[in-house]
Amino acid sequence: MKNVREMSLGELAAFVCTHLRKSGVLAVLTGGACVSIHSRNRYQSFDLDFVEEHDTDRKLLKRILSEIGFIEQNRYFKHPDTQYILEFPPGPLSIGSQPVVHIEEKRFRTGRLNLLSPTDCVKDRLAGYFHWDDKQCLEQARLVSQQALINLAEIRAWARKENMAREFKAVENMLAGCSVRCKRDDSASGRKNRGALS
Amino acid sequence: MLEPLLGSVNREKVLLYLYGRKEGYAREMAAYFKTDLSQIQKQLERMEQGGVLFSRKVGKTRLYGLNPRYPFISELKALLNKTISFLSEKERESLLINRKRPTRAGKPL
Repeated sequence: MKNVREMSLGELAAFVCTHLRKSGVLAVLTGGACVSIHSRNRYQSFDLDFVEEHDTDRKLLKRILSEIGFIEQNRYFKHPDTQYILEFPPGPLSIGSQPVVHIEEKRFRTGRLNLLSPTDCVKDRLAGYFHWDDKQCLEQARLVSQQALINLAEIRAWARKENMAREFKAVENMLAGCSVRCKRDDSASGRKNRGALS
Repeated sequence: MLEPLLGSVNREKVLLYLYGRKEGYAREMAAYFKTDLSQIQKQLERMEQGGVLFSRKVGKTRLYGLNPRYPFISELKALLNKTISFLSEKERESLLINRKRPTRAGKPL
């Protein structure tokens, strides 16, 4: 097993996720860390946001994470050997008002990681852009679209349910335009990425 | 009205205020409801941690609002909308109608 100090973001996330799962805590990686993984580090995040499938008692969570060296500081968990920090935002696992139905799994040398799919990751970033007018979120959605397989029809349907159809239409061509090339997926899962589904 | 459901009268006040006025900060909410500032701050912090509210800093002031990305936001708004409909006309106007147009610095009124 690699030392925590040497782990990449994905490896560390998988290590933490696997340790949590072994301890009975099911957690899914969300947020900017998913952008990092799906964009193959075109965007670099240092926050690992895990949303638990069921709320865990905070004391229990602290004990479980302390077993692998993470100590709680304020609302975050830090490890002396890595700059990545863990956070557990409140559930339920959702994007806007809609629950996340499909959870992706990626395998790393350090364990199995449950995370948002590239399509849900793009929805998550677009939600940030639509609600906060955060241009960085839009750029992150673009980076994921460039590097991973996304389902534009699903995103369009999601945006419609969120009453964001007009906002999505304004960025749809940009997302579709940057996701047509075939890309090799160099993640540990070895899955091939194709263009966008529409 | 929502106290039995929310478990706190101050939580209800904060939610009604933010639903009615879109954004607000702790001190103005405490002043509006003539209640203890620390109680309002406690509710704001709890609901922000729970994802119900968002906050942002404007100068030295932390402004709060209902989090548009909260999964139950439309249901919450429907509940608050109905609650506001039960307020007296005076209370409703006081909550919903507040000056938003700019006021020039130094203006006496």
